[in-house]
Amino acid sequence: MKARESYISLIFSYKASFTLIVFIALILVFSLLSPNHVFVKSDNLGALGKLIPDLGIISMGVGMLMIGGEFDLSVASIIPMSSFIFVKMLEWQFPMPLIPFITILVGIVMGYINGLLVTKVKIPSFIATLGTMMFWRGVLYAASRMMPIGIRAYLEPGTLFEKILVGTIKGGIPVQILWLIFFTLILGFLLHFHKFGNWVFVTGDNRIAARAMGINTDMVKIVCFMIVGFLCSFMSMMQALRIESFAATQGIGYELKAIASSVVGGTSLAGGIGSVPGILLGTLTIQILENGLILLGAPVFGINAFIGAGIIAFAVLNVYIEKWKTV
Amino acid sequence: MDNLNNNKPLVEMKDIHKWFGKVYALRGVDFHVNYNEIVGLVGDNGAGKSTLIKILSGFHTADRGEIYFEGKKVNIRTPKDAKNLGIETVYQEQALAPHVSIARNVFMGREPTKILGFLDRKKMEKDSLETIAKLGLKLRNPDTVVEALSGGQRQGVAIARVLYFKAKLVILDEPTIALSVKESQQVMEFIKQLKEEGISVIFITHNLYHAFQIAERFVVLSHGEKLTDVKREDTNIDDLSLLITSGKKVSEKMSE
Ligand SMILES: Nc1ncnc2c1ncn2[C@@H]1O[C@H](COP(=O)(O)OP(=O)(O)OP(=O)(O)O)[C@@H](O)[C@H]1O
Ligand SMILES: [Mg+2]
Repeated sequence: MKARESYISLIFSYKASFTLIVFIALILVFSLLSPNHVFVKSDNLGALGKLIPDLGIISMGVGMLMIGGEFDLSVASIIPMSSFIFVKMLEWQFPMPLIPFITILVGIVMGYINGLLVTKVKIPSFIATLGTMMFWRGVLYAASRMMPIGIRAYLEPGTLFEKILVGTIKGGIPVQILWLIFFTLILGFLLHFHKFGNWVFVTGDNRIAARAMGINTDMVKIVCFMIVGFLCSFMSMMQALRIESFAATQGIGYELKAIASSVVGGTSLAGGIGSVPGILLGTLTIQILENGLILLGAPVFGINAFIGAGIIAFAVLNVYIEKWKTV
Repeated sequence: MDNLNNNKPLVEMKDIHKWFGKVYALRGVDFHVNYNEIVGLVGDNGAGKSTLIKILSGFHTADRGEIYFEGKKVNIRTPKDAKNLGIETVYQEQALAPHVSIARNVFMGREPTKILGFLDRKKMEKDSLETIAKLGLKLRNPDTVVEALSGGQRQGVAIARVLYFKAKLVILDEPTIALSVKESQQVMEFIKQLKEEGISVIFITHNLYHAFQIAERFVVLSHGEKLTDVKREDTNIDDLSLLITSGKKVSEKMSE
């Protein structure tokens, strides 16, 4: 009796349960309806295997930050900024072992700045990170003149570094998948099994209570912003190596797609609710929706319209589910 | 019972003054709580009750006056200072994170860990339910989110927290506000239970019927001054309510 009760409440306490149904339905629909079932062919799965980790790694950080009660729109600029610095360091022939660490430091510092603006200057995160998003993008466009920089002139193919970040393992599975699993596990354990995770939840859920209980909520938020920055920089290197260049358009749209993934995965916009498995599922759902629609022949440039409509439909259904639950 | 210095109060506030800009909120209040005693702090809206206890719990500092805790003069500047002394405050809305589980709420900010800061979830689950049970409240699943509990049960979770962490003095500012009759009764049982555990309690309320059930002594504030300090056996609800509404000193009923 008790086990059954908690089992049911556990399933329904995560809005993500509904997402799981949608996710499975989408896979079935796209598998059956895509021309020649191309959705499940290895070429497409391989492409998905490279795309999903890009968004997934960012969504993990953004979702965790949202559970802590804050937004980060500046991921859209942290990604290309660190990609730019990464590729520039290749061009300048920096010692190879230093390059990834400096790149990641860039992201962490940018996250730290966001954290300070939000907690110390006390600007709402939506505004603060909108500001830093535009600021860094402006700096980037000025510094790069928006010109792409190929990496092959400075980095021969097949280095160990490249294999570690974007190689393939047995059966042609992209290493990026392993990185996504790695970060999912690390952040999953941190959020759900570590005391820091508890602080993130209670900070997002009831900041006054958290403070009254002696939790340094400013520190919690700053660390979450820094984790987002770290993940952006890490992903930017993966992306630059995969497309073999820095591109000024990198990161555009990631800020909202990451928020959408988190929300579709059951994260509350108000903070305090969410889960790492949910965020992963949300990312998969969003990315598969996009991919499947393209395969079904939806116009590529109008694809956002479909995804947007999908997200709204999802949110509406969720409201009904919530109502039905509380009856 | 195990306190040898029973003649000395647990906490003593002397000549406390507090200004908020031009508002003279506390005008030289003397206030004390004995070991293992439930004190009802009553008075009209704006009398200064919350201000007085916030000085004790470190949210405000007094502009003048002294605080003695267990006989020693103390400086309480932050909520943390108060906690370190064993003074815990329970607020109706501010205490709990609604979407987080009972166990995680009880241990909020003081989580038991195993290695590298990873939570000792078994201990959290077991100890939270045990402590809640000590209050006479039966909850079965420590993973239930607080939002799913009744108002009275929520108070129970908040009070279990201060019980578990061995508070010496628990301050409850209107813990029965917005609760049903039954839930209020439940909270009163929790407070009795705290006394059973040897803890002193300051209970702020506008409901004299609630206060009369559990408080052993009443302190009445009016416009920042102490009107009276009287044992329960030396007063009754009618006298007290008249005193609160008229706001006049009744010196012959002072217990000291
Ligand atoms: N932070 C503050 N800033 C300015 N004035 C304050 C502040 N807190 C309390 N006051 C004022 O101090 C006086 C006492 O307020 P207090 O909250 O202590 O009253 P109370 O007895 O708790 O009243 P109630 O029963 O309504 O809760 C009031 O005049 C109030 O307006
Ligand atoms: Mg008050």
